[in-house]
Amino acid sequence: MSQEHESVDLVGDDAVEYFAKAVLIAALTAGLAQVSIQLPGSLPPFSLQPFGAFFAGLLLGPVWGGLALAVYLLAGIAGAPVFSSGNAGLGYVLVGQGTGGFLVGFLVGAVVAGGIVHRGVTPRPLDEVGVPIQVAGLLAALVAIYAVGVPWMSSVLGLELGRAASIMAPYVPFDLLKLAIAVGIVQGGYLVRE
Amino acid sequence: MLSYRPGTTPAHGLDPRAKLGFQAGFAVAALAASSAGWLLGTYALAGLVLASARLSPIRVARDYRVVLAVLAFAPVLAGFVPGPPWFDAGPATRSALAVARVPPVLAVSAAYVRTTPVRDTRAAVQWLVPGRVGQLLGVGVSLVFRFFPLLVADLRTVRAAIHARGGQRRSVLVRGRLLAVRGLDRTLARSDRLALALRARCFAWNPTLPALSFRRRDYPVAAAGVALACAPLVRPVVGTFIPVG
Repeated sequence: MSQEHESVDLVGDDAVEYFAKAVLIAALTAGLAQVSIQLPGSLPPFSLQPFGAFFAGLLLGPVWGGLALAVYLLAGIAGAPVFSSGNAGLGYVLVGQGTGGFLVGFLVGAVVAGGIVHRGVTPRPLDEVGVPIQVAGLLAALVAIYAVGVPWMSSVLGLELGRAASIMAPYVPFDLLKLAIAVGIVQGGYLVRE
Repeated sequence: MLSYRPGTTPAHGLDPRAKLGFQAGFAVAALAASSAGWLLGTYALAGLVLASARLSPIRVARDYRVVLAVLAFAPVLAGFVPGPPWFDAGPATRSALAVARVPPVLAVSAAYVRTTPVRDTRAAVQWLVPGRVGQLLGVGVSLVFRFFPLLVADLRTVRAAIHARGGQRRSVLVRGRLLAVRGLDRTLARSDRLALALRARCFAWNPTLPALSFRRRDYPVAAAGVALACAPLVRPVVGTFIPVG
């Protein structure tokens, strides 16, 4: 095609496919930030947002998964109300309520998980990847998310690092649960598409 | 929530690159605040920025109310001590000072969001990140604007369907899995259709974008951004030559 239209440089079929997936996963991450499951009592709502980073890494690999989360952040900076509670703007990412580091952490986590699971730029089919590697990839993603998010929070809110870590510690079991759900979804064959 | 409104304010007339640069520089300067004077300066500057966008500070505070509430809670958390006397003023004051740096940064980014159309931000992103990565980021941002409301609606539909079937009695694990699976399923179906539609429309690496042009009034704004970003480096030098207080 591109030889017939010299002025138009078409995007390759594979790239279009991955790009469309990355954009929709960015939009899904934005959607998941708005929808949470209410837990009984005074427990914090069960946020589904980490799934965005998990699926970006698992399904798209480091480059396209990273692009998905970068697009998510940029859409928020450009003014789409894509962060939790419908927030937007560069200010929310940089300082916000101290949780901006977790947003950047999602981007780092998607790249880390994608790199471990796919070991290259091109995503490979997930049935070629063993469960232990998928779990290891997502665990590394979680570590990356907290490694960026907690010190960031401590510096914005002026809390000591230990205090910031102890505020976030109750969320860790929930995140491990989300990790188990994500791997379960992949293993359960829910994502096999005709 | 704040979003772009067409207008003729001074902030509307600026180039998005100048505004993005100013925003970033302002954030660096605001976060470096360590004295009351410096802090007041950032509030005053943020007030000027809001005035140039004809945006009321009360409106901004109302839109960021959740964020501000969380911020106000931070010093309480910082000062909490497990055991008598239950509260330590030292860490609480440090946290309150840290938190006080945040609202001006939020105000400046609210002014940006209010006065900059998405297409301009997209063009600025593509200018900032050249080549194919910039192209994809730019197109991606516009597509996220298009698909975000659809996916929120999808997820709400799924959640309503789960509730309609008595799903709130199931465990969090099952509900989380159902929501994630159905949400992802609809997402992937949409991405297949989007890929097909992009190919059918000859999705190309070289589309036509609005031409950005730096006018005379953009230079001072961009320069102010650079100056603000460098301000924390200059301060100690100034302090050594001009005894303060």
